[in-house]
Amino acid sequence: MKNWQVLLWLGLNCMAVQPALAHGAKIEYGQAAAIIIRATYDDGTPMAQAQAVVYSPEDPTTPWLKGMTDEKGEFTFVPNKDVSGNWDVKVRQSGHGSIISIPITEGLIASEEKPEIDRVELLSSNSDLTPLQKILMAAAGIWGFIGTALFFSRNPSSHQKSVRQ
Amino acid sequence: MRLNLIKSNTILLISLLVVGCSRQGNTNPDVEGVESQGSLSLVANGEDFVREGFVTKDGWQINFERVDIAVGEVTAYQVEGGFNPEAKSQIKSETAIRLVQEAQTINLAQGEEDADPIVITQSKAPKGFYNALSWKMLPITDQSIAGSHTILLEGTATKAKRKINFVLGFNQPTKYVCGEFVGDSRKGLLQPNDIAEVEMTFHFDHIFGDGEADADDEINQNAVGFQPLADLATSDTLELGWQDLEQNLSPEEYQKLTNAIAGLGHVGEGHCSVTHP
Repeated sequence: MKNWQVLLWLGLNCMAVQPALAHGAKIEYGQAAAIIIRATYDDGTPMAQAQAVVYSPEDPTTPWLKGMTDEKGEFTFVPNKDVSGNWDVKVRQSGHGSIISIPITEGLIASEEKPEIDRVELLSSNSDLTPLQKILMAAAGIWGFIGTALFFSRNPSSHQKSVRQ
Repeated sequence: MRLNLIKSNTILLISLLVVGCSRQGNTNPDVEGVESQGSLSLVANGEDFVREGFVTKDGWQINFERVDIAVGEVTAYQVEGGFNPEAKSQIKSETAIRLVQEAQTINLAQGEEDADPIVITQSKAPKGFYNALSWKMLPITDQSIAGSHTILLEGTATKAKRKINFVLGFNQPTKYVCGEFVGDSRKGLLQPNDIAEVEMTFHFDHIFGDGEADADDEINQNAVGFQPLADLATSDTLELGWQDLEQNLSPEEYQKLTNAIAGLGHVGEGHCSVTHP
């Protein structure tokens, strides 16, 4: 075989083999807004290497992502920007744990302000009333006003008459 | 005219009385109808420490016959965005279900070693996520030992060749206000016509420590252990109420015990804020 024929044959073989290289790696890149949480104990010690579990608003009972915090107690995740709502993150270690709810809209934290923590006890005396009970109570109040108005607007002569009787 | 007015007022008053009386015994809101309700279970869990026994930080093997607590005014809440008990704030919720009103005594040691948490009550409740819970520890109706107590422990403590039969009464009325249950699974998410659970968890290793943990572990640093109590035993018997403990423990040990009892209440691994009403 001539040299040019050998080269052509090798070249064709190489071209034929190339598609069979299935172990190639491909890396792409893009930009996304990530959420970083930091977990610490009461005394400020980082919860390092603690279990972190993320729950999506779409399914709050099934973990959406699991991982571990780093040595600073930090854990980073990128929420699905198409799923808005409260993304919950649970961190646990050695019998200690906590869970936080992060409001996210279109991949971003819904408010830069910290969640409202100064709350007021709700269980007021009428929080257990049904709508029917509330309507009846309101009706009683209104009827009381009407009754009072009718009392004061009555005919004085009829009052005197009734007194004479 | 006047007679009609009196008649109308009387009828209205009777109607209000009937409606008012009809709500007694059902403090739970029923605003969304049966089709959007489920059943909310309240359970109490003393964990493996209570059911299986354990070794204290100072090497005593503890086995409980009885771990009585009395809880009352138990309320489950739905809180938008969750509730953080570390903030020492009050709960703001539009749906709150009173699960237990009067004091109810529970033996946390009942059942087999691998028993499920104890079901205290099950109530109809509107659907939603019950992610906060509060309850009070109240006095137990029991005369096993003198004095008033909110926790009664009865069992044996064994170390080397010594065995002590103990009955201990701790008296510390406490209110716990907690956020969401923290554990292997999530609890409190109630779907229509389904059952969900909220849990009061009690960590007794906070009092006695954990022999399996390191001596310098936080759990053992803050726990009393059993040795200070064993030192108060007469031969093989130890029967002490809260006043006895206050008088006989050192001020440091008594304070440690007081703090540990306050830290008993949890929701799984989740902490609670504590007040003493």
